[in-house]
Amino acid sequence: MKKLLVVLLVLCLATVAFATGAKEDSGTKTWNVSLITMDSMDQHWVSCFEGAKDAAKELGVTVTFDSPDTKDDNKQIEKINNAVAAGKDGILLAANAQDAPVAALKEAQAAGVKIMYVDSPANFDTLRLFATDNREGGKKIGERLLQELKAQSVTSGKIGIIGVNKATESCNTREYGFRDAFEGQGYTLLETQYCDGDATRAKEIADNYIAQGCVAVYGSNEGSTVGAGNAAKEALAAGIKVIACGSDASDTNKQLIKDGALLCIMGQNPYQMGYKGVYAMVDLLNGKDLGGYQYVDTGVNVIELSNVAQF
Amino acid sequence: MEKNGLLKRQLSKQGMRQVFTVTCGLIALCIAFGIINPLFFSQRNISNLLRQIAPIILIGIAQSFVLITGNIDLSIGSVVGVSTMMSATLMTKGMNPWLAAFFTLLVSLLFGLVNGYLVAGFKLPPFIATLGTMTIGRGIAQIVNNNYNTGAINTIEKTAEAVDRFRNFFYYGKFLGIYNGVWIALAVFIVFNFILNRTKSGRYLYALGSNPEAARLSGVNVLKTTTIAYLVSAFCSYLVGITQCCSAGMGAMDAGNSYEMYGVAASVMGGVSTLGGTGKLIGTVVGACIWSVLQNGLQFANAPVAIRNIVIGIIIIVAVLLDIIVRNRKPKLADSKKQ
Repeated sequence: MKKLLVVLLVLCLATVAFATGAKEDSGTKTWNVSLITMDSMDQHWVSCFEGAKDAAKELGVTVTFDSPDTKDDNKQIEKINNAVAAGKDGILLAANAQDAPVAALKEAQAAGVKIMYVDSPANFDTLRLFATDNREGGKKIGERLLQELKAQSVTSGKIGIIGVNKATESCNTREYGFRDAFEGQGYTLLETQYCDGDATRAKEIADNYIAQGCVAVYGSNEGSTVGAGNAAKEALAAGIKVIACGSDASDTNKQLIKDGALLCIMGQNPYQMGYKGVYAMVDLLNGKDLGGYQYVDTGVNVIELSNVAQF
Repeated sequence: MEKNGLLKRQLSKQGMRQVFTVTCGLIALCIAFGIINPLFFSQRNISNLLRQIAPIILIGIAQSFVLITGNIDLSIGSVVGVSTMMSATLMTKGMNPWLAAFFTLLVSLLFGLVNGYLVAGFKLPPFIATLGTMTIGRGIAQIVNNNYNTGAINTIEKTAEAVDRFRNFFYYGKFLGIYNGVWIALAVFIVFNFILNRTKSGRYLYALGSNPEAARLSGVNVLKTTTIAYLVSAFCSYLVGITQCCSAGMGAMDAGNSYEMYGVAASVMGGVSTLGGTGKLIGTVVGACIWSVLQNGLQFANAPVAIRNIVIGIIIIVAVLLDIIVRNRKPKLADSKKQ
């Protein structure tokens, strides 16, 4: 029993050490901006935070990364409430769902907190949105896939789609764009299956699609694309013809392009979202007149084997 | 007639009755899915499906061991997460995958040890104790790579080949035409089934679950027995975590989220009681098969995800309800055996 007490004590000390290590120096009074993305895991959000951090350094303001650990509307709402309670001056939000955070955002605005969107807006008016045109991006991937299928003279067949979950609007919008590209082209687009962003679950879903004889599989976010790529890699090695494509230029996905497992991915510029977002937010906090609402398209790249080295 | 009666007695004695019922259900499900989409029975899907069942079997065994002792382990999913993240992080830092897996094993087993001591040593309610370790585990999974998912595990030149071999060993490779993951799950099942049915430790696990006080008075070491159950649980969860790391080729912080509940589902569908003392691992295997067949078959049926969730929920309830109905309808058989 004594031994166990020692172990527990060590654990407690370790926790304290972690906790104090994680605390950040706030320094002198500057604008405090909170970046709240959909989750804190995808490399997409990590890049977005990198951009925000760089802008913050240039401007001499503080940006904290206050995203929930997983994509969850309620957790995101709590993060918004916490940012308000912690006295942040501005919130840069990538809304997980369009309606869910509206009430929290109203309260935040009433408390004097300025709000702008990166990546995905909610149904609540703000002055700026820095984002990818997801519908257009999804469509570009669809068109590239269509071109490849025709080049391989596959003119019909089933196509599987892996989504994140029903509530994640940006990914669903990409999927609609992808479906747009196949309108009237003679392919059957199957019912979307959701993987909750889990690459292992996505791999299983993709395996199931391939076993059903799908000619292509599309993933609408990082995890689902990793799953689609890994499944295609395995199928191709076994001599089954299938094309995988998807979204988000993470290291793992870029590696899968180099391995020949993914045809193409929709690359966004999350760094620019964070970077431009912080600049605009600080302008607003400094009382500069930004005019009315403006959507700033941060652009989309179709990343494939020929150009993957540039990203 | 005599033989039939013997079979029945044997089934009820071993707690095998529900296993028999749900196996029939499993077969019916498979036939139904095969009719809806004949590709369900394609050779490709069968091997695919078996590989999807494997981690659910492991998770099921993990939870069954603890349920049999009358406790519960909520930390299973988090141990999966710790295992995935820790092994993947070490590999992205250039560590040999087997060495990374070894260190990860030690950390994972620590969870089993702490759970066992908290529940049996400090007499914390298992629900609370493992709720705590579940949350701690998720935190550790998040902190090992500084709150980020890892990158690809096979990008360091020095270890890339070893990592690919490692990934094949746990997930992508085949032996005798069947994926390695299935063999691993089978081996784990055989070993732990043997321990549960043929050893003193196994009998103690059941004894502890049916009547903890009586077990203690008749000399069962409660602390040791409980800790064994939690260690088995942590070990199986660890294996699933490694498999996930191998399958995705990266570490994800939310890997294994809510797997503890999949474990409960597989266990109870297979006849393991949440009250402890009864249940067979073979039942858990059948339960795991039902779970995965539903996930796989409903996708083949092109069912929307909402329908899938509803159907799975209903089947969990029906599987357990059916057993209760059958049990109540044949009180004589059960009574004559019990009393």
